[in-house]
Amino acid sequence: MIYLDNAATTLIKPPAVSAAVNKAIKSMASPGRGAHRPAMAAANEVYNCREAAAGLFNVDEPERVVFTMNATHGLNIAIKSMAHQGSRVLISGFEHNSVVRPLKAVGADVTVAGRELFDSENLLRDFERKISGMELVVCTHVSNVFGYILPIYEVAELCREYSVPLIVDASQSAGILPVDMKKLGAAFIAMPGHKGLFGPQGTGILLCGEEGKTLIEGGSGSDSISEFMPDYLPDRLEAGTHNVCGIAGLRAGIEFVKLKGTENILSHEKKLLRIMKKSLAGSDYELFTGDSHNQSGVISLRKRNTDCESLAEKLYERDICVRSGLHCAPLAHKSAGTIDTGTVRFSFSPFISADQVKSCCRILRGIV
Amino acid sequence: MKQYLIMCRSLTYAQRAERVLNRAGISAAVVKAPQSLLTGGCGYAISLHRNFDRAVLLLKNNGLLRGKMYKRENDGEYEEFIT
Repeated sequence: MIYLDNAATTLIKPPAVSAAVNKAIKSMASPGRGAHRPAMAAANEVYNCREAAAGLFNVDEPERVVFTMNATHGLNIAIKSMAHQGSRVLISGFEHNSVVRPLKAVGADVTVAGRELFDSENLLRDFERKISGMELVVCTHVSNVFGYILPIYEVAELCREYSVPLIVDASQSAGILPVDMKKLGAAFIAMPGHKGLFGPQGTGILLCGEEGKTLIEGGSGSDSISEFMPDYLPDRLEAGTHNVCGIAGLRAGIEFVKLKGTENILSHEKKLLRIMKKSLAGSDYELFTGDSHNQSGVISLRKRNTDCESLAEKLYERDICVRSGLHCAPLAHKSAGTIDTGTVRFSFSPFISADQVKSCCRILRGIV
Repeated sequence: MKQYLIMCRSLTYAQRAERVLNRAGISAAVVKAPQSLLTGGCGYAISLHRNFDRAVLLLKNNGLLRGKMYKRENDGEYEEFIT
């Protein structure tokens, strides 16, 4: 099998991840619900993961690292804390439904900026033209469909200049590109645990520059006498028992990323991207590519007269795992002009080799 | 033997305080706070037996000193302790 759907979930994890999950399921109970050994072991594991994430993402206070189920959960907390009916919100043309749908649900007045694929200058000009009077900016760091690296630090600078709070969707960048909370000065940064951080599915992180409003309420193991959620982080946003096993695995994944270094991870994925581009140059495939600076290890393609689902089926038959369709990001497809066809997406990870990418390209070239 | 308790508003704060103290070479542990000292139902505290003044200074400097402090000797009653 050649697994090239890492933008959805990294399937091949560092061995320490499953070891940590296994250890947690056997020895850890509910954090914050007692002081016996299994409860404190769980509490320590959860706190260690908070600290590890705070270190990787440059957050001073570990309590500002909130655990979520996934990036969508984090984005829902962030968006519903900051936007309400009629809020004027500026978003990029490459947002996922996890941004678009919560904004729609609250009835925000959404403006889209920067719809040219792989054109950061256009995006910044468009953001600057439209940001005045906005109450919130929500922007992805990397497009999940095209791997387009958006100029998020410049967008953040613009937000500071116009005093507009920023929510960053770091779903495709966490663990691959530097995500620096202090430098971004964001109100919130949401990310999944199961992609570039190599945690299990069902894990996510929300970095909180703001306090945030609760999405769900329940037990927090603190202020139990009160009928209201505590007013401090992380307890305020973490109702119910944590996914301790997932968080244990996530910590092992984060430690792997810290050890390996995001610069090395990105460099490897860019190398694979170059191989794919070179191997398919002159073929029947239309590749959506940027330059060496503005594309991560994610690439979309399509083939004339072949629908993307059929193409993906042909790859599945050869045990190549990719993703086809709209990738839950119709806005990105509308921006790139691929809404009618969708694309087939290939996404890399540090566990994918150059030979695997070459094999995949040979198979692609052989598909009539 | 003296025991000092520094009340913390949440488990996470208690853990952060514990790490700050341990990294400074002060032996401290997170414990469930005794019910008699609680007003909110559940709570955690930092327990330590020595280096109390240094610990308080460290926690103050790190913005982690927000709860009441108690002292007891030889398993006696907890008495509020104000520095």
